[in-house]
Amino acid sequence: MEIFKRVIDVMKREFCRLATKRIYWFILVFAPVFCFVFFADLLKEGLPMHLPVAVVDEDNTALSRQLYRSLDAIPQTEVVLRTADFTEARKAMQQGKIYGIFHIPVDFRREVSAGKEPMISFYTNDTYLLPASLAYKDMRLQAVLANGAVQQALMLAKGEGGAQLQARLMPVTVDINPLNNPWISYAIYLASVLMPAFVFMFAMFTAVYSIVQEIKDNTTEEWLKESNNSVAVALAGKLLPQTLIFLVVGLLYLSVLYGYMHFPLNSGFFPMFLSMVLLVLAAQGFALFVFGIIPCGRIALSVCALWGVLSFSVSGFTYPATSMPWLVQWVCHLFPLRHYYLLYVDQALNGVAMIYSWQSYLALGMFAVLPLLILPKLNRDLKKNRYLP
Amino acid sequence: MRDIFYIFRKEFYDVFREPGVRAFFILLTLGYPIIYTYIYSNEVVRDVPVAVVDHSGTPLSREFLQMWDAAAGAEVAVYCASLEEAKVCMDRKEVYGILEIPADFSKNINRGVQAHVALYCNMGALLNYKALAQAASDVSLAMGKEIQMKRLDYASWIEQEIAVSPVKIAEVKLFNPQGGFTSFIMPAVLILVIQQSLLLGVATLAGIRRDRYGKMIPRNRHYRQAWKIVLGKAVLYLPVYLVMGYWVLFIVPRFFSLTQIAGKAELMLFLFPFLLACAFMALAASFLSKGREYPFLLFVFTSVPLMFISGISWPKEGIAWYWVAFSKVFPSTHGIDGFVKMNNMGATLKDVLPEYASLWILAVIYFVLACFLYRREMKFSV
Repeated sequence: MEIFKRVIDVMKREFCRLATKRIYWFILVFAPVFCFVFFADLLKEGLPMHLPVAVVDEDNTALSRQLYRSLDAIPQTEVVLRTADFTEARKAMQQGKIYGIFHIPVDFRREVSAGKEPMISFYTNDTYLLPASLAYKDMRLQAVLANGAVQQALMLAKGEGGAQLQARLMPVTVDINPLNNPWISYAIYLASVLMPAFVFMFAMFTAVYSIVQEIKDNTTEEWLKESNNSVAVALAGKLLPQTLIFLVVGLLYLSVLYGYMHFPLNSGFFPMFLSMVLLVLAAQGFALFVFGIIPCGRIALSVCALWGVLSFSVSGFTYPATSMPWLVQWVCHLFPLRHYYLLYVDQALNGVAMIYSWQSYLALGMFAVLPLLILPKLNRDLKKNRYLP
Repeated sequence: MRDIFYIFRKEFYDVFREPGVRAFFILLTLGYPIIYTYIYSNEVVRDVPVAVVDHSGTPLSREFLQMWDAAAGAEVAVYCASLEEAKVCMDRKEVYGILEIPADFSKNINRGVQAHVALYCNMGALLNYKALAQAASDVSLAMGKEIQMKRLDYASWIEQEIAVSPVKIAEVKLFNPQGGFTSFIMPAVLILVIQQSLLLGVATLAGIRRDRYGKMIPRNRHYRQAWKIVLGKAVLYLPVYLVMGYWVLFIVPRFFSLTQIAGKAELMLFLFPFLLACAFMALAASFLSKGREYPFLLFVFTSVPLMFISGISWPKEGIAWYWVAFSKVFPSTHGIDGFVKMNNMGATLKDVLPEYASLWILAVIYFVLACFLYRREMKFSV
């Protein structure tokens, strides 16, 4: 009971410290809320619409105009430029005004009728990967449809038609079922990991900085005295208030993602809540561990910053980790966010039984208890540490 | 002039004596582009493992599966007897997709009815889905063409070709022919590394000064005019970053064989106002840094939102106007835009005039802002 009272005393002291410095308000409240308003607003459409493309129509017949109109009718692409001059379209592409060019050659209509196999070509600017791949999809569909339309006309002329026409044109089709994200929305997978990634980063920074602050202000002795010279009590009292605050922030994220934006949550609330709790604890555990090994605030912060920023890449939510070099595939397990991402895919997105995710839960748990390994060293360091500006 | 030179020399010692600042200016700029490029060095997603449930088990279905296995994006990892079994493989993350061939697959084809194959994709990573969808569309088109040609046995080979595909299709991926991830994300990362490392380094210098002396400006007769202080410091950062910029923008891309089609001289000309704008912005922003740990807390996280509003990760057309307006405040937005257009898309300096002009305007604005902040600081510290 004595210990609990001590911890609560240190916690009260910590709450006061957190509330009285502006930088803590920034990193605990302002920055996370900004990130989350920013990304929620940016990604609210899910998929970008009305991507500008150009149609170079050198044929200018009823057939080519029909192609142009049906490309324009797809909501994802918008034909902003219709020209007979390819150079004009190419220049617009180099200025970044369009993402794709759909090219219908001279005498297209006539060559189709004569059976001369004219060539439809389309160009995408893959420097912008996401819009280019969306424009590519639509233009390819359009080109295949053009093929089908011509074939259909030919077959109808030969007297074939009706139910068998479809089978003639496409004897085999693959029906693609994007499980649990039938809209193929980019927002769902981006936002679900981006926002917790910020919680992870800020929780690490706050943990290290709040200890550095004690050393900087020369209040380490006072802090340890309050906790009866027990480092475990001192650290628990210091980090628990931060845990609580980040949990509130994390819950806000979860409720916006799954409550307000209605992203898929097929696991129910608890598995994701548990993941968030473990992510915050893992962040603090990792930060404390780094600080224990290198008891120099700025270097510990540098390591945490590196870990936080690299997390965005190696967690594999944009580019799959399974396609990275083998070294990265191994190293990525050292990043707590990687495990959170796997949990998100398993639980919120796919809703599989929690037992299939035990490795990731365990991994996050292990990050959380890492500091126990270096508690004695932390104890020694904190008692003699002096701040060198 | 003497004052500026004195400040320049002083700043030179500070930058190269402080390990923390050195780390930002040199280590970060040297190492980060390499780590990043290495992570994405495989460029594209290939051979995504798929579980197969073949209810048909006929020569035709096996032919389909062979084509599927041969497609660049997909790979048959395991054969399952039932959909349930395949689902367990998916839950264990052994496969990222399930291909189910129905029992009436070859019967339908032979009867001239459209045959449907079902593909279930795990949507955890969108690039895996993209690879599988591409494979699905390629395989079904190729196999369909083959079947159609077999039915036209009365015709000659050329007639078959024409009847099956009266229109040829050519697809060209410009400026990033393999559609690779590295070639798409690295230009933006490279520019962002320059801006952010400069920002972090300068803010750390300011933090150290405040920690040690409680103020930003030493009590010294050389530090009497704000514009001289700002210029003296910027004059140091510029050559350091011209060297680092050469590494980041010319050597790293060469090392990893990324696209590089801009003229060096022209690109350097573009880089100049970008570095100026970054340096002055860093000097102005360093006033927020009240201690040497502050830069981490204040600036590190901004890289990610900056990346998103630059128009590379997320197309500009999908960004609300107020965020676009907000993004114009940062040199990185114009820098990335211009650099990508010149370096990857072969635009000339004339084509990127709007970005070029914006960078100069930003440089002037931040210079004035930095001078103003230094003047205010002087008034308070005296």
